[in-house]
Amino acid sequence: MAASTLLFVASILLSSFALSCYASGTFSALQKSILLTSSPKSGQVLKAGEANITVTWSFNKTYPAGTDSAYKTVKVKLCYAPISQKDRGWRKTKDELKKDRTCQHKIVKRDYKPETDSVTWTVERDIPTATYFVRAYVYNAEEKEVAYGQSTNDGKKTNLFEVEAITGRHVSLDIASVCFSVFSIVSLAGFFYLEKRKGAASQQK
Amino acid sequence: MGDIEGSPGSSMHGVTGREPVLAFSVASPIVPTDPTAKFDLPVDSEHKAKVFKLFSFANPHMRTFHLSWISFFTCFVSTFAAAPLVPIIRDNLNLTKGDVGNAGVASVSGSIFSRLVMGAVCDLLGPRYGCAFVIMLTAPTVFCMSFVADASGYIAVRFMIGFSLATFVTCQYWMSTMFNGKIIGTVNGTAAGWGNMGGGATQLIMPLLYDLIQRFGATPFTAWRIAFFIPGWLHVIMGILVLTLGQDLPDGNLGALQKKGDVSKDKFSKVFWYAVTNYRTWIFVLLYGYSMGVELSTDNVIAEYFFDRFDLKLQTAGIIAATFGMANLLARPFGGYASDVAARRFGMRGRLWTLWILQTLGGVFCILLGRSNSLPIAVTMMIIFSVGAQAACGATFGIIPFISRRSLGIISGMTGAGGNFGSGLTQLLFFTSSQISTAMGLTYMGIMIVACTMPVTLVHFPQWGSMFLPPSRDVVKGSEEHYYVSEWTEDEKQQGMHQGSVKFAENSRSERGRRVASAPTPPDATPNHA
Repeated sequence: MAASTLLFVASILLSSFALSCYASGTFSALQKSILLTSSPKSGQVLKAGEANITVTWSFNKTYPAGTDSAYKTVKVKLCYAPISQKDRGWRKTKDELKKDRTCQHKIVKRDYKPETDSVTWTVERDIPTATYFVRAYVYNAEEKEVAYGQSTNDGKKTNLFEVEAITGRHVSLDIASVCFSVFSIVSLAGFFYLEKRKGAASQQK
Repeated sequence: MGDIEGSPGSSMHGVTGREPVLAFSVASPIVPTDPTAKFDLPVDSEHKAKVFKLFSFANPHMRTFHLSWISFFTCFVSTFAAAPLVPIIRDNLNLTKGDVGNAGVASVSGSIFSRLVMGAVCDLLGPRYGCAFVIMLTAPTVFCMSFVADASGYIAVRFMIGFSLATFVTCQYWMSTMFNGKIIGTVNGTAAGWGNMGGGATQLIMPLLYDLIQRFGATPFTAWRIAFFIPGWLHVIMGILVLTLGQDLPDGNLGALQKKGDVSKDKFSKVFWYAVTNYRTWIFVLLYGYSMGVELSTDNVIAEYFFDRFDLKLQTAGIIAATFGMANLLARPFGGYASDVAARRFGMRGRLWTLWILQTLGGVFCILLGRSNSLPIAVTMMIIFSVGAQAACGATFGIIPFISRRSLGIISGMTGAGGNFGSGLTQLLFFTSSQISTAMGLTYMGIMIVACTMPVTLVHFPQWGSMFLPPSRDVVKGSEEHYYVSEWTEDEKQQGMHQGSVKFAENSRSERGRRVASAPTPPDATPNHA
């Protein structure tokens, strides 16, 4: 029985190594051939649910013509700046694109046009409080990333802006919370008092 | 002879050492049925049930069982309710990994203190009020989640909700007032296991509630707050049910009945002394920290782990996390059963080996879980890990009743506290720092489980031996009587306070395994008809 358990464990270990072997795209292999600007000024604080961001992007003509022949779709995303990734492994930047968690919020998906394109987007109410920049990924026909452009520099230090999220709290929730809490305490106290009185009364009889 | 009413440890009174961990009923010649009592189940002379009829709700015994385990289950649901929603909460409150980890530590720390206090509360007010007090006073803390706006508020609220796990003590105490000692092992094991399932059920319930509330139009950051109302309502509902439908004792409530029995109680200081000076107590405190403790830690981190590592939806991560905690339904009783089966042949040595094997296996599969890179393999490793850890919990309580007869209650309490302490320590060491990824944290936790299970090799009973050493061949020192009676001083023996231990020692001879028939009677054993 020990031998079969060992065999079972060994085969599981081997297959787990095998599965991690296939290659996937990396960020460093992408061409930075998109020029992108976003409307928020450096350090500006935007309120979620209210403020707008206008993103404008176009193909960088300094690249040789024909570079964008494979470009099919563009996804513009809101990405976390390094300061908002600190101590938060779920937002970590990784070169392997499949595992990269820098850009978690989609702004828009469009077909690729070599001319200038833009979008005005209202910051949604589920965007958390953090510091951000904007990045656009370009995909080919196989849905693989081939190029990108971003509103900040390579070190992700310039032109960052902040979003102030909604708290999610509501006055009605707070009131309901207080009501149920009071009900709980009062009913407990009430029961206790009534039973003590019944006990005292039955002892007097 | 027999138990002193109300003495420390008497909440486990009736445990003789001979009952198997998984007995569902005790037949009449062994414990006589009281023919004058008019209950749905056959009862003994104290009107405690002799039969454990699982699917009955008859008042008072089975009704108490169900009220009790469901209350405990509810508290587990609310204590771990935040865990599957952490991916949303961490964005709403701008938490760092340290904040998430500290909240996990806080959630299991509160109950270390509240469980210790609850024993005294049960003695004073009865288990019915003990349960109702805890569950209804922690309901406001659950509702408080709607107010939380930052990390410190989140940690504070999770700490306060954690106090509700004191219902473990009320559950076990209440069961021991309602069920005969010969079946109390099964009853308590089932109640504890089913209560622990709450930690699994919540991983399923909360994401479903969150999804449902979102469909009604709430934004994510509001929806999770509304979701917390459901565990809060469960607290209030269970509290009211316990107060209206429950009763402390088979014959009625504590306040309405006159207290019977001896006035003299065992001194707390003595009972405490014998608990802390027995080295086995401390080994089991450590061990339980690495079976129950890792179960609690895993309840806190596993949903977030699957969500982040394998890119799953919140509900999918919740379903997988739920299977971890729900395994308690069968795994914990299985551990107790395995311990009993081993004991029939090998006695206490078999029980120790069973515990070591189960807990170490759990540790090994925890290491493998951390190292699994694909989803199906990770889930498989997790399930085997959960069975190992939870069965080890069951096996632990197959041994605890034998460590001491006099201080059994305190040792059980300390072991339980050790579980929570181990959980807090593990979360602090491996799941709070951003330097250690959760995957590495799981691997390190597995290594720590294997390392901290080694001390079980040191547990030696002179009368039964240990994992590697045989029992003492000295006729006096190698007797059960010598071990259990040595907890009483000469003065106390003269007052006859040790009689319960003598009876226990006699009954515990089954822990010799197949050698019982050849056990020589020690020449100066106190005869129990004296």
